[in-house]
Amino acid sequence: MNILSLFQNVFAPPRDLILIILAAWVGLTLSEKRAPLHRVNLDSLSNLLLVSMIGFVVSGRVLYALENLSIFAQSPASIFSLNTDLFDQWSGLAIAVVTAFAYGRRAHLPLWPSLDTLTPLFATLAIGIAFSHLASGLAFGKETNVPWAIDQWGALRHPTQIYEIIASILTLVLILIQKPIAKPGFEFLLFVALTSASRLVIEGFRGDSTLILGGFRAAQIAAWLILFAALASIDYQKRLGHEKE
Amino acid sequence: MILLTGLVWIFISADRTNSATAGRIPAPQKGFLAPEFKLETSDSQSISLTDYRGKAVLVNLWATWCPPCRTEMPIIEKVYQGYQDQGLIVLGVNSTNQDDPTAVTPFVKQYGITFPILLDVNGEAASLYELRSLPTSFFIGRDGIIKEVVVGSMSEALLRANIEEIIK
Repeated sequence: MNILSLFQNVFAPPRDLILIILAAWVGLTLSEKRAPLHRVNLDSLSNLLLVSMIGFVVSGRVLYALENLSIFAQSPASIFSLNTDLFDQWSGLAIAVVTAFAYGRRAHLPLWPSLDTLTPLFATLAIGIAFSHLASGLAFGKETNVPWAIDQWGALRHPTQIYEIIASILTLVLILIQKPIAKPGFEFLLFVALTSASRLVIEGFRGDSTLILGGFRAAQIAAWLILFAALASIDYQKRLGHEKE
Repeated sequence: MILLTGLVWIFISADRTNSATAGRIPAPQKGFLAPEFKLETSDSQSISLTDYRGKAVLVNLWATWCPPCRTEMPIIEKVYQGYQDQGLIVLGVNSTNQDDPTAVTPFVKQYGITFPILLDVNGEAASLYELRSLPTSFFIGRDGIIKEVVVGSMSEALLRANIEEIIK
């Protein structure tokens, strides 16, 4: 049994969630350490995370139940089920963002420094998600004959999960070596730019892409648009800084 | 320059022949063709997955000693009774190679299971479906493609939600 098989056996779903929880713990520790550098109130930021996490969990489950109302009407107790599959993660995430934004305004947390403080958490979570993809076999690559191909789902494939791990670790390193005195929002925007750029590249090697007209990969187009917005924002910040000087 | 390179890469890596999408080869993953297997029931009746091509099939891998399997088995039976008329097929594949074969029949009687229970004596199905945890359920659509994989015990709502997707 090679290392990859051993890793996949140890962290086979649903145990792959351990990797994400571990990443969240490391990320929170890193973010807490950087909070004073960004002059952000740590207690308020911890409360913001707690409130948005509750928003994520509750709304993700409730919205899933509303989408499948006839099913939950037959077994109402399932609303409290421990099955993580009974969950609308995108709606939950949207509500979590709105909740975090509303709480941040109420607690007078500055937007950009708060996002900068949380950036190590986001970057570490991205690493955890990449490792969970490797464990579960999700986000797999397309068939290839490259020497470093891995045998997965009945074919030799690009190890896109490993590409994802490498890219996300490099992103975290680049974030952590930034001087915290950089302009507010720069660390967050850099994270967004690097993450979308790596997705843009890696998606081209994926074997499970959602294709749109002409065989174009939907995620690549979304990643390009996000990269454009992040680079434009960084450029705008830079110009604003020069004008002030 | 970065954005231009990105656009070029999007164009180069476009999958015009849809070759990147799964489904053409058998693999135990969502989006792929469900791997074929042929197993026997405890009364020596041979059942193959190909017998049910064109039907919505739930393949549930389980063992008598596994507590989550014991939890979900009555739920599967209850839901199966409700969807049987709509063409749902449930195949309960007992991981006999890691179970006590003499415990299977009493288990089936105890839980009043009416869907076919197949005995995976040599671990053939477990190997084909890369079984890592018990129970594991594969929801297979009428086209033979796996629509969902659920590892661990399922609640009634999750079971119904996935069945609704495959009987469409």
